[in-house]
Amino acid sequence: MYLIGNISIYLGIVISLYGIIANFVGIRKKSSKWIESARGAVLSLAFVASVAAFLLLYLLGTSQFQYKYVASYTNESLSMAYKLTAFWAGNAGSLLLWAVLLALYAAMVVFSKEKKNPMMPYVSSILMVNILFFFTVMALNANPFEMTDKIPADGKGLNPMLQNPGMILHPVTLYMGYVGLAVPFAFGIAALILKRMDSEWIKLTRRWTLLAWLFLTLGNVIGGWWAYLELGWGGYWAWDPVENASFLPWLTVSAFLHSVMIQERKNMLKTWNVSLIILSYILTLFGTFLVRSGILTSVHAFGDSNLGTYFLVFMAFMMLFSLYIVMTRYGLLKKDSSPIEAYFSKESSFLLNNLILVAAAFAVFWGTMYPLISETFTGTKVNVGAPYFNKVMAPILLVLIVLMGICPLIAWQKAVFEKFMKNMLWPLAMGVATAIILFAFGVNGFYAIIGLSATSFMFGTHLQEFARGISARRKATKENVLKAAFKLTIKNQRRYGGYIVHIGIAVIAVGVISSHTYSTEVLKTVDAGNSIKTGDYSLKFNELTEHTKNGNGIVVADIDVTYKGKDIGKIKPEKIFYETWPEPSTEVAIKTNWSQDLYVVLSSWETKDKVTFMVKVNPFVSWIWMGGIIMVIGTAFALIGGRPTSSRYQINKGISRVGG
Amino acid sequence: MMSKNKKIVMGLGLAAVAFVIMMFSTMPSAGSKEITIADLSKNGSKYEGDYIMTQGLLNKESVKWDADKLELRFELYEEGKGTLQVFHKGIKPDNFSEDVIVLVEGFIQEDGVFEAEKVQTKCPTKYEGEDMENYDTEMHKEMYKNDKQE
Repeated sequence: MYLIGNISIYLGIVISLYGIIANFVGIRKKSSKWIESARGAVLSLAFVASVAAFLLLYLLGTSQFQYKYVASYTNESLSMAYKLTAFWAGNAGSLLLWAVLLALYAAMVVFSKEKKNPMMPYVSSILMVNILFFFTVMALNANPFEMTDKIPADGKGLNPMLQNPGMILHPVTLYMGYVGLAVPFAFGIAALILKRMDSEWIKLTRRWTLLAWLFLTLGNVIGGWWAYLELGWGGYWAWDPVENASFLPWLTVSAFLHSVMIQERKNMLKTWNVSLIILSYILTLFGTFLVRSGILTSVHAFGDSNLGTYFLVFMAFMMLFSLYIVMTRYGLLKKDSSPIEAYFSKESSFLLNNLILVAAAFAVFWGTMYPLISETFTGTKVNVGAPYFNKVMAPILLVLIVLMGICPLIAWQKAVFEKFMKNMLWPLAMGVATAIILFAFGVNGFYAIIGLSATSFMFGTHLQEFARGISARRKATKENVLKAAFKLTIKNQRRYGGYIVHIGIAVIAVGVISSHTYSTEVLKTVDAGNSIKTGDYSLKFNELTEHTKNGNGIVVADIDVTYKGKDIGKIKPEKIFYETWPEPSTEVAIKTNWSQDLYVVLSSWETKDKVTFMVKVNPFVSWIWMGGIIMVIGTAFALIGGRPTSSRYQINKGISRVGG
Repeated sequence: MMSKNKKIVMGLGLAAVAFVIMMFSTMPSAGSKEITIADLSKNGSKYEGDYIMTQGLLNKESVKWDADKLELRFELYEEGKGTLQVFHKGIKPDNFSEDVIVLVEGFIQEDGVFEAEKVQTKCPTKYEGEDMENYDTEMHKEMYKNDKQE
């Protein structure tokens, strides 16, 4: 086993080196045999990486504690699901996960129907450089198949905080997003190397980019959900450096997904688009560097400075390489670029949207790196807390929401202002009505009301877009509403998929704004038989009991809950004392209804009859998870269907072929 | 005459500059300064009014927790370099045990007591299993020392 594991890692290095060389020779000699052989190398890489991954799963599942990794992250009493998912609990396993996903992606790309595309040898080489990096780091620094000196009787177990379904999904989804971005990056660079300045690479990678973005979205939402359930502080996002690291590429890819539409349609923004995808890819490496280097104080303290250095070097290398390619092709990129026809057009509104998304990314990046920047220049480490991010990001996100409300109403090329105003009437009325209703009901918080009204306006625009499309189709086809709605969306999957994503964002925005502004918290010590009152809830603490489960001691508080005087059952927050872990873990108890969560944490106790609780009422938090699901549905909808804007694309292609 | 493209790019550029200025001006007020316990115990008054983050080892003997009032008092120390009295209105963290590294954020008061808005212990946030191997007080002291030297 030891041999198979290690051989697969070293084979990974050898095969990727071979594949890169075979591609190089194939390109130089124009030999399809060599290129074919390089394709074989990619397939072999997928194979050896999978062997290594299955082997690690097997070792974890069968508790082979002679392996350091297995002993460090699992123990006998862990359930099978967590034994297996300990795969990505530590550095070595995470690197292997990354490598295997990358190798599988690469194999899918080189064996796709575009396999004869002249870009492919370059694409596969770039992907193999990445694979080579991961296998090399595993061989030199973090080998998942390293043995222990002496076989321990039992492993150390998995951190209790990672024993949660959210933690099974969160790292994998995020990695699939991170890894997936390597594909459009590779195509972008390949197109530049080949001086193919048309939008072909964008068309070929649209699905890959969307898929990566879908996983990034999922990864972030699931991460928030996990934090909310597991960390016991009642929040879902803390602007922690590592959270920011996964938010950064999400922002830049969001920008990219919009601006590529302009390149597809209008052959514009070529430099910008290729720069955005390079930036997004570099940010995935940067994120990993941040997580693994421990240079910033973070709750996600994985801290291993060596690993960070590897990532830093690789990131610098890829950055310089990309920069060189872009600079040498800059002239070509600028050629044939069409100008914007009018200030007031969808093109310029997309430009603005891009600027805001990138500005948001910069603001997050700046805040994240500021402690290091300030230490360099002033000697004092200034930590940037959530207040900075909230202060800077709130207006940015507000503008973004308003823009999302306006953009669908603006026509391509040249919009007519009067028509635009007419289109805006109903959504605007919806926004204003929301504000009036909120004021009338005595809701406080000026900025929150503005935010909620803007969200309502944005939602209104999208609702109107659906309604108009359906009604136009019904006029033409005399179909019933449902059929017309179905046919309309199915025939325009990209567009309506995008709209569904926007609606998901509106739903999330309601959750974020409301829970941020209107959440209440009570911290109280109560004696048995007494109650804590907060909002419409009353919680009567009965008793504290103790029992053991799977060898872990569990302390449970028994609480009766009433809502507006009506009994709604019990709530039982817990604290678990794990045998193999030095500190107890808090198990939050939550009661959810459509508009709010009752969130109870068992904080501490003096005696069995005197206990301190934190009780929070978080309005609309479940909307955040719901919005996440809607976003994923919308993205999937755009992903499975949705042809590229083919006629325009062909024209662009024709132009650039003639021109080039 | 400038093309529309250029004008748009210039307009957006100006917006970007405005944005950067806004960010720079927000930053200092939102951040906390990282100051050592040694520095705080000597020159505490110098930092009055600044939002500060500091970390030290917990002196377990000093922990006074009033569950009814939800008030926590304790002492942090940096070996041989100084101590800091901390007051926190809130809950006592889970593993508030001897020599654990405690991170506090808040303001230093006139009487030299640090009023912490946030109290976090450093160990539970380590996700890495390997740390468990050496989970002992000596290691914490070592880690803490190294932290300081860097």
